[in-house]
Amino acid sequence: MGTVAAGVAKAHADVVLISGYDGGTGASPLSSIKHSGIPWELGLAETHQTLVLNNLRSRIYVEADGQLKTGRDVAVAALLGAEEFGFATAPLVTLGCLMMRVCHLNTCPVGVATQDPQLRKFFTGSPDHVVNFMRFIATELREIMAKLGFRTINEMIGRTDKLAPRKAIEHWKAKGLDFTSILQRPDVWPEVIRYRQIDQDHGIEKSLDVTRLLDICEPAIERGERVHADLPIRNIHRVVGTITGSEVTKKWGPNGLPEDTIHLKFTGSAGQSFGAFIPKGMTLELEGDANDYLGKGLSGGKIIVYPPAGSTFVAGENIIIGNVAFYGATSGEAFVCGMAGERFGVRNSGVNAVVEAIGDHGCEYMTGGRVIVLGRTGRNFAAGMSGGIAYVLDEAGDFPAHCNQEMVGLEKLKDADEIEMIWKLIQRHQAYTKSDRAAKVLADWRQLVPKFVKVMPKDYQRVLESMKKVKEQGLSGDEAIMAAFEENVRDVARVGGG
Amino acid sequence: MGKPTGFIEYLRELPADRPPAARIADWKEFHLHLSEAALRKQGARCMDCGTPFCHTGVLLSGMASGCPIHNLIPEWNDLIYRGLWKEALERLHKTNNFPEFTGRVCPAPCEGSCVLGINAPPVTIKNIECTIIDRGWDEGWVTADLPKQRTGKKVAVVGSGPAGLCAAAQLNKAGHTVTVFERADRPGGLLMYGIPNMKLDKEQVVMRRIRQLEAEGIRFVCNTNVGGNYPAEKLLKEFDAVVLATGATKPRDLPVEGRNLKGVHFAMEFLTANTKIILDGKKNGNFISAADKDVIVIGGGDTGTDCVGTAMRHGCKSLVQVEILPKPPMERAADNPWPEWPKVYRLDYGQDEAAAKFGADPRVYLTTATKFEGDANGQVTAIHTVQVKWEKNDKGQFIPKNVPGTEKILPAQLVLLAMGFLGPEQPLLDALKLERDPRTNVKAEFEKYSTNLKGVFACGDCRRGQSLVVWAFNEGRGAARECDRYLMGSTDLP
Ligand SMILES: Cc1cc2nc3c(=O)[nH]c(=O)nc-3n(C[C@H](O)[C@H](O)[C@H](O)COP(=O)(O)OP(=O)(O)OC[C@H]3O[C@@H](n4cnc5c(N)ncnc54)[C@H](O)[C@@H]3O)c2cc1C
Ligand code: SF4
Repeated sequence: MGTVAAGVAKAHADVVLISGYDGGTGASPLSSIKHSGIPWELGLAETHQTLVLNNLRSRIYVEADGQLKTGRDVAVAALLGAEEFGFATAPLVTLGCLMMRVCHLNTCPVGVATQDPQLRKFFTGSPDHVVNFMRFIATELREIMAKLGFRTINEMIGRTDKLAPRKAIEHWKAKGLDFTSILQRPDVWPEVIRYRQIDQDHGIEKSLDVTRLLDICEPAIERGERVHADLPIRNIHRVVGTITGSEVTKKWGPNGLPEDTIHLKFTGSAGQSFGAFIPKGMTLELEGDANDYLGKGLSGGKIIVYPPAGSTFVAGENIIIGNVAFYGATSGEAFVCGMAGERFGVRNSGVNAVVEAIGDHGCEYMTGGRVIVLGRTGRNFAAGMSGGIAYVLDEAGDFPAHCNQEMVGLEKLKDADEIEMIWKLIQRHQAYTKSDRAAKVLADWRQLVPKFVKVMPKDYQRVLESMKKVKEQGLSGDEAIMAAFEENVRDVARVGGG
Repeated sequence: MGKPTGFIEYLRELPADRPPAARIADWKEFHLHLSEAALRKQGARCMDCGTPFCHTGVLLSGMASGCPIHNLIPEWNDLIYRGLWKEALERLHKTNNFPEFTGRVCPAPCEGSCVLGINAPPVTIKNIECTIIDRGWDEGWVTADLPKQRTGKKVAVVGSGPAGLCAAAQLNKAGHTVTVFERADRPGGLLMYGIPNMKLDKEQVVMRRIRQLEAEGIRFVCNTNVGGNYPAEKLLKEFDAVVLATGATKPRDLPVEGRNLKGVHFAMEFLTANTKIILDGKKNGNFISAADKDVIVIGGGDTGTDCVGTAMRHGCKSLVQVEILPKPPMERAADNPWPEWPKVYRLDYGQDEAAAKFGADPRVYLTTATKFEGDANGQVTAIHTVQVKWEKNDKGQFIPKNVPGTEKILPAQLVLLAMGFLGPEQPLLDALKLERDPRTNVKAEFEKYSTNLKGVFACGDCRRGQSLVVWAFNEGRGAARECDRYLMGSTDLP
């Protein structure tokens, strides 16, 4: 744990959070609540000591959480080395949470964690309750500080000399416990800073966005004019496009700009989080390859990736983008000529993506959007997938074995409109990326249509059907969504959350 | 949990009671049963809370919150939702020796602390409990289970109320040879001669269980007043351990003018004699009739209610129930939050019956009696009442003060004093030289139950003062556990 903390401190993280085992969401299974993790006290002590020993503590905040409930908890955490403290359960309880452990079932009877309007009426919390609770915490903490002779939290950090293990614990298991390594204070020069005082240098001024892209895109950002640029890229360039995208959103709001207003073409190997969060109107084209987190949180933009011209390998069999691409993406489009790593499209809620093969755990927890895979997937595809649709071209016929069918059903393509929609997406994929694989699929289209497996979440299907029905009854917009929701919310057949 | 959305879909539903006008014509139980389908829905209302409060069984502001015997409520709710009745009965019997008693007479502190009760009517826990055990008896699932081994130790239980019965049942399970002494002619304590037949049927419910306990090897010795016609010392000589469960039977009196007039009785005299007649089928000299009389019941608790229900069945002419406390609010007051026992207005069965016949709830609140008036024969004819105001005295305690100008005279030929109980009767405790607490209860620590006399344990109302059947269960079971530990050095009893 200390090693990881030291590593992220060197990698310019601002905060390291030590989250103890006794915290956690009420949605977790009882077995995890009871039997996973270790107390934050252990991780915190090791983290703080390692950071101090390596003179890194000065530039990173250390936060602790996990059932902190009293001023005393905060004092202990500070003395063990934290300067930030996370609270969740206790403030939630002040708002009316009853620790029902049904956060995931939509049945929270006091309206804290539910979308059900009937139950939300029962919410009785108010921000004042939390404020009041925090006042109590602060008061108790002040009393303890006064007793120990501290004026500020910063003075307390890491002062394990003020902690002593309780002697009177009678339990037989407590015998022989040795706390010295937890209560140790690292033996370092007095100059070594023991709490965060120095800002991390994130090097944002040196990022590609700040040095080049903002200038290039200025006409688009300011006046909505079309811009195009060709640029080289290296893997030291991280989060390329994100700052530019944020400027676009600041200026043009949630609707962004017309499609392809900003078109940036890069050649080379992109670093992590290429195109993260980019909005509508931005298209990033990459000839080369990309590291992890490609298009993370994509928010309307378009991302196109294909191998360098003249590559001799078969694109669809070689990894071109890293893991966790399009994680949590909400809208936009993606065309990837090649194979993606693991966890492709996890928590995707609206992006339409075409890719030629993917690793394990694809489309996990997906809730919306369309994903077309023109080749093989890894195992555990669609685990926890409750919405959106995936289409997998299963020429080998072994896809069902790779799919986690707990929440999804596997179907054939029947609907003509749907087939046409897929055809069009693949056609665009081919046009953007010059994919051989796509060209071949389109050429053999008639033979291959029956080989597509449609991965349809069972709940999603039921809601879509209800939507159709209520729309036929003349409802529209939010009203229709609510009516469809109501129709399904009490159905025990639902697989998710039940 | 059977159905996560059950509590949203189904409303609380209790079985109907027999209509008041019909039920006051007899002494039969007044609750009916719910259909199995309807009951399963009630079970489905249980939310399987991550942090359930229904079985905590602690005292909050002096009142029970959650089931004092820690019934495994969410588990059996789920089982009956799934139709697994026998399994439900097994879970129920794990914590409750006699669910048919609590299922009928318990005020259900479990429901007061039910999490659903925060913003909706709570789960019908008590009714579900009752139905599980009634069904168990009907199906023949409740059978006499003899202990596999006898320890050779002899234990005496004095008093056969709910505390004594639980202690006896548990000690017998542990293999001890148990004798229960009871001074009345039938066992059961207040289950037999306190709580009236329409609430808890004596022959079909109480005696049915006594017969099962006898079949399991427990010996009941009635008409035996320990410390009276059976010497206390003999008890200590003949048994390896003794569990006292003599109840808190000393009634609180109302020492005002005219208290000695004929027709002014303690509630228990009235109730006991009445139950005896029902059971014996013939009148005896002690019988007190309310027929055609103007009846005044003083005291607004359970005992008072039972007096009301009994007087109604006698065919009284009029009925007033005098309560010194204010009328409780319809909903929880701000100083009485969940999961505390909700101190709210309830229309219990007796008042319901009086209202059906006389047109209104018979209770008058903030009222006390100041004097009884009699005729030349020394028979009570009227009662003087006055309204009170609760005010703080100089010690900061709330005390009732009479409000001048609110005096009233009500006709009365029968007055029943149901103002609570002051602790156990003392002669036996004196004979055994047991230490008492300041309220004259036997001194023994909760959860330990041992008195100053080695091998003598005390439980139930004689230790904690006037209380509830379910607390008597809790204490009887606990005392059995401690007694077993005393006899054997260790114990497996819960
Ligand atoms: C009229 C009435 C109605 C009630 N209704 C309810 C209700 O609806 N719900 C509820 O939960 N609670 C109710 N209660 C309270 C409840 O009945 C008591 O809390 C409970 O019965 C106490 O149990 P126990 O075993 O400690 O004592 P008891 O039930 O009082 O039993 C004590 C027994 O010991 C016997 N005994 C005493 N001294 C001797 C001796 N020296 N030798 C031999 N035997 C002796 C007595 O005869 C008696 O049978 C009611 C009480 C009354 C009076
Ligand atoms: S014994 Fe009383 S408190 Fe316990 S579950 Fe039954 S009704 Fe509720």
